[in-house]
Amino acid sequence: MKKTLLLGIAGILMAAVTFTACKKEDNNNGGNTPAGLDRKPMLTNYADNYILPAYAAMVEDLTALKTSSDAFVAAPDESKLVALKAAWQKAYITWQKVDLLEFGPAENVSLRMYINTYPVTVSKLNSNISSGSYDLEQFGNKDAQGFPAIDYLLNGLAANNADVVNYYTADAQAAARKQYLQAVVNKMLDKVTTVRNEWNSYRNTFVGATGTDVNSGISRMVNSYVLYYERYFRSGKIGLPVGAMTGTAKPDITEAYYTPQLANTLATTAMQSIIAFYEGRSFSGAQGSASMKSYLSTIGTKGDNGELMADLVTKELNEASTALAAINTPLKDAVQNNRTAVLNTYEQIQQVVPLLKVDMVSAFGISITYVDNDGD
Amino acid sequence: MPKLRIISKAYLGKPVYSASLSFFRMVFGLMLLGSTIRFWLRGWIEELYIRPQYFFHYYGFEWIKPLGNYTYLLFAVCGVSALFFALGWYYRIASVLLFLSFTYIELMDKTNYLNHYYFVTLVLFLMMRLPAHANLSVDAMRKPRIAARFIPQWTLGSIRLMMGIVYVYAGLAKLNSDWLVEAMPLRLWLPAKNDLPLFGPLFSQLWVAYFFSWFGALYDLTIPFFLLNRKTRPYAYVTVIVFHVLTSILFPIGMFPYIMIVSALIFFDSADVDRFLTRIKIFSAALPVVTNNNMFTFAPPWRRVVVGMFGLFFIIQLLFPWRYLLMPGELFWTEEAYRFSWRVMLMEKMGYAQFVVKDAVTGEKVGVNNNDFLTKNQEKMMATQSDFIVQYAALLHDHYKAAGMNDPEVYATIYVGLNGRRSRLYVDTTVNLAKERDCFKHKNWILPMGGNIYGL
Repeated sequence: MKKTLLLGIAGILMAAVTFTACKKEDNNNGGNTPAGLDRKPMLTNYADNYILPAYAAMVEDLTALKTSSDAFVAAPDESKLVALKAAWQKAYITWQKVDLLEFGPAENVSLRMYINTYPVTVSKLNSNISSGSYDLEQFGNKDAQGFPAIDYLLNGLAANNADVVNYYTADAQAAARKQYLQAVVNKMLDKVTTVRNEWNSYRNTFVGATGTDVNSGISRMVNSYVLYYERYFRSGKIGLPVGAMTGTAKPDITEAYYTPQLANTLATTAMQSIIAFYEGRSFSGAQGSASMKSYLSTIGTKGDNGELMADLVTKELNEASTALAAINTPLKDAVQNNRTAVLNTYEQIQQVVPLLKVDMVSAFGISITYVDNDGD
Repeated sequence: MPKLRIISKAYLGKPVYSASLSFFRMVFGLMLLGSTIRFWLRGWIEELYIRPQYFFHYYGFEWIKPLGNYTYLLFAVCGVSALFFALGWYYRIASVLLFLSFTYIELMDKTNYLNHYYFVTLVLFLMMRLPAHANLSVDAMRKPRIAARFIPQWTLGSIRLMMGIVYVYAGLAKLNSDWLVEAMPLRLWLPAKNDLPLFGPLFSQLWVAYFFSWFGALYDLTIPFFLLNRKTRPYAYVTVIVFHVLTSILFPIGMFPYIMIVSALIFFDSADVDRFLTRIKIFSAALPVVTNNNMFTFAPPWRRVVVGMFGLFFIIQLLFPWRYLLMPGELFWTEEAYRFSWRVMLMEKMGYAQFVVKDAVTGEKVGVNNNDFLTKNQEKMMATQSDFIVQYAALLHDHYKAAGMNDPEVYATIYVGLNGRRSRLYVDTTVNLAKERDCFKHKNWILPMGGNIYGL
């Protein structure tokens, strides 16, 4: 009896070894080297080539915004307003490359909330200006500051530059408004600077957390990435304004509402950042090395027709990007007048959500849950 | 037939040393006490049973719900009775209270279903009727008439059989193409642990995933027999320890490995246990090993009832896991008849569910944020299991109805990925789920998995 069992075990083990040997050769054709499963180089690439440069660029752009706004406030005129608007636009576009990094230091200070909560609540903003007593640190003021507040202050007060400048010169609340503009800009610069500084020390924590538990680098990064894609990109920029689920358009909640043509640029920039980040490109767009894509491709999960999931994600993201770029009227109008195109774009964007949230996350062996409990 | 009866009677009634079962009672009780304390200290009572707004019930157990702040009291009852159980102090009452409180806790929210909770429940069900307090117990000290050095073999055997069923069925469940041919899901899970010291880099190797899969299946299928055999037992027990410690390092499975390591002690020869415990004298001061030559016996009519009940219990245990054969569709995909069958760590399954509620009259639609109703954990379970989906749809229906919507219709777009396959739609997006009911019939609105998993 015992002999039979032992022989049985030996037989099964032999079969297993032989089988795996064959299997391994198959996979070598795909160029799968286990080295690609090392998470440290991936985290290092993200931290050093994307995240740190991203916050540096954000600080730089917001410093330029501060310089412009200080100059405008000192002596408001149309040319300084134009310069200020340009600085604001540049910084807003850069923000689209930073927004997907809401984990670690950014998450700790709720950076996104201070920088880009939209739509701005104009009544709240105006009552802050007229009362003169406000604390922008308060959560309650999240929708009265950041890029959307500046959008209103520079583009929403009047239709032309001369009239806008009037609000900073002749208007009864000119002084208070100038002060508010500066307060908003300072708050943004302050928050982003804090995050950048914290990243200098957090960088090693992040790169060193090579596990796959909830506190690991990959788990934090991917969770923030997927959450961003689903909630802040898909829903925030497209889904909610077009009313993808409700069937009713809400043009007044598009991003950069007072600068309609900018909303499309913001969305396409965000889309490109999403693709670049997945592929592990550097912040300046140079070809990446170890990335979520290369890691997924090494794991080697495949689609229904045997194509790598890693490539499928790229393909679907690119299709969504193409559809998005094809919307050539301002989003705020398109959600009403060109609904078919926008809803189609939404559908394309939506297609990628399960690929990221289920297929990629599942293959990575991480989880979307934040509740730390046993499983079996 | 009469011959068989005599043999079975001789086998079942043969005296064995009670120290073995009583020692099992002690360590099992202490393990449950430890589990309860661990659960409490980690804040899980609050997190899992007090904070959530909604709880998923088992079919037929709608009436079992957390008790608000009294849930703490429930856990206290469970912990205290586990201690009394371990000490063999008012054993009969303690074992019943422990069984009831533990089972109640288990049934409060099926989100937290774990096979090892079910295992504990079943063992406690048996233990309530077993003379596990005949030795090494306060009861035996206080009432010498129940102290017995010997118990009938079947009492000890029933726990062994229960263990054996768990292992063998867990092994049978692994005999499928995903596990053996694809090395799924270990192929995904092991590389996630490749940063562990020493052995970490090995987990990136595909052959290791295959080795673990095959070894795991073989281990489960054979370990009870190696534990039963006197000659192989020491090696088998070392394997038990190594295997379960390894799984506890690799996977977030809490107390399960330790419960199994401790429970497997039941396979040791009862005479050896008696001799060992007598020799080490640790117990002699507090809970002495009984030295009389009494044999515990059930009163004749009662014995019939208990033996009959145990027989029925084991017939059900042997048959219940196979009920999935009555269901169409791929078991791993539908998960109909999946639970209570010792299917442990077989699937990497993840889902993504988005619900839309529609007013039947005005056509007005609302997108649902699942986290407004469910915890992350509940959402995760709901997104891959059809009976959760039905209950959640009913919850949404009632919520929006109360909020003034006309006959709310509930539609879901759910994507599920299973063992590395590309995620695909899980339920028919055109079906109003609010009209569906949970039952034991196949839910025909579950879309097919596409592809097959071969095997048991």
